[in-house]
Amino acid sequence: MDEGGIVAGPPAVSVTDLGIRYDLRLTKRTTLKGSIAGMVRRSGSVDTDFWAIRHLTFSLQHGESLAVIGPNGAGKSTLLLALAGILEPSEGEVMTTGRVSTLLTLGAGFEMDLTGRDNIDLAGAFMAIDRKVMADLSPAIVEFADIGQFIDAPVRTYSSGMRARLGFSIATAVTPDILLLDEVLGTGDQTFRARSQARVRELVEKARAIVLVTHDLTFVTEFCNRAILVEKGRIIREGGPAEIVDLYRERVARQKLLAEEEARRLAAGATASSTGG
Amino acid sequence: MTSPTEALVSRRVASSRRSPIELIRTGLSELISRRQLTRYLVGAELKRTHADTAFGQLWWILDPLLQMGVYYILVSVIFHRDTPDFPLFLFVAILPWKWFSTTLNEATLSVTGHNSLIRQIRFPKIILPSAAVVAGTVSFGFGLVALAMVYVFYLHRLSWWILAFPVIAMVQLVFTLSLGILFSALNAFFRDIQNVLRHVLRLWFYLSPGLYSLDSVVKDHPTAAFLLSLNPFAVLFHSYRDVTWGTTAPDWLGLGAVFAFSIVLLGLSVLVFKRVEPAFARILA
Repeated sequence: MDEGGIVAGPPAVSVTDLGIRYDLRLTKRTTLKGSIAGMVRRSGSVDTDFWAIRHLTFSLQHGESLAVIGPNGAGKSTLLLALAGILEPSEGEVMTTGRVSTLLTLGAGFEMDLTGRDNIDLAGAFMAIDRKVMADLSPAIVEFADIGQFIDAPVRTYSSGMRARLGFSIATAVTPDILLLDEVLGTGDQTFRARSQARVRELVEKARAIVLVTHDLTFVTEFCNRAILVEKGRIIREGGPAEIVDLYRERVARQKLLAEEEARRLAAGATASSTGG
Repeated sequence: MTSPTEALVSRRVASSRRSPIELIRTGLSELISRRQLTRYLVGAELKRTHADTAFGQLWWILDPLLQMGVYYILVSVIFHRDTPDFPLFLFVAILPWKWFSTTLNEATLSVTGHNSLIRQIRFPKIILPSAAVVAGTVSFGFGLVALAMVYVFYLHRLSWWILAFPVIAMVQLVFTLSLGILFSALNAFFRDIQNVLRHVLRLWFYLSPGLYSLDSVVKDHPTAAFLLSLNPFAVLFHSYRDVTWGTTAPDWLGLGAVFAFSIVLLGLSVLVFKRVEPAFARILA
């Protein structure tokens, strides 16, 4: 974990000049009619490309845990999707060494009509984990998720908290070399929060790399040993968690101040015009 | 748990364009290497499709039988067409058609139906339509029980040629798989496909010699009969019927042609699928 340690092998994550572009024409629920209409309307002048992130370069060693912080829409989640290999780079490259596990939207991928147990097997198959290995892991997953007899009931009948717990339990049971977390530690009840934080701490200690997207700034300073501040798809600064959190707080405060000033000016303008008129 | 000595798998993803041959090869090798995932997805699909019906898989026996009853009444009672052993004649077309149409529908919806999963885990998406096709095929195997039940009444129509039945089914499987892979990819971009498909399938069935034989068309409309015979299902239906109802050899030449066509189509479909696969996670938010 310390910077002066033995440099063993390649970094866990290496991102070079990464860019992810969305084509705004291909948004959800396209229909043939819509896209033909779009082709007619779009006469080359309108920019349909949107770079969610661009020119990102950083790397992460095993044993490090990196917090990605920034305002909404900064591209944090897109970055995680790219690290997970779910989104392919439009530019640059992502290199990962080791098994990557994602906890992006907990439980969103469950088959609702299958039981929790069946979903554990299915998740294992999706993650390409050997069936025998998964059979060994299964009891521990069930135990950690702590959903009792519901494990043999269809996931459809679960509460969202139960789904989240099962999702977290599956994703962390396989001891990933690289764990990607997106704003998940705040879910669930107090007990499970404490337990999941303990599990994450354990994973960090086992020299696994973690990339975490969160708004929980105290968690950042407590758990992570590095942080990057992302705004509008670019890295603003990279450094120690305390430093980056301070910078982020400062920027948020300044933004808020500017917004308040703007609001005051508008309000003043409104009163002026109303008294004048 | 992962042992510390286990070699770490490196993955490098860069923006690149791969050659068509490479894409097809990757697609096919994914199908083979991820058999476990396919197996689980097939199991999930089978559980899902019949989870909420009392008869469950039994519907694969009842449904074609009921359908046969409807067509029997329609064609022989209302239109007074007289074909010997007509129920068997109908049934060996209705059953494979049910296999084809339900499977193609399921496969078409397979990518869009797993949108949240696609945004959560990295896995070869080509497994999705393929698993739907395999699941449909398992159900079809179950539906063969219904064929056996119909056969009980027409045992004089049973010959050794029935052994060619799996060969014909194999040709149909490759054809279905190729269309399923293609449509599942296209449906991610154009949801119209899932809506249009139902109607296209209905028309396709009536243009295929399922309720009639092309021989009966040839006399009055030779050109129409020729055009209809270009339909892969003309070959498939006639072949199924030859080896069961007709107690003769299937149309080997026609089957060979459909098979060759299906293999080419499969290659093209896999290519299209692999080309657009990276876009799935972007558009299925």
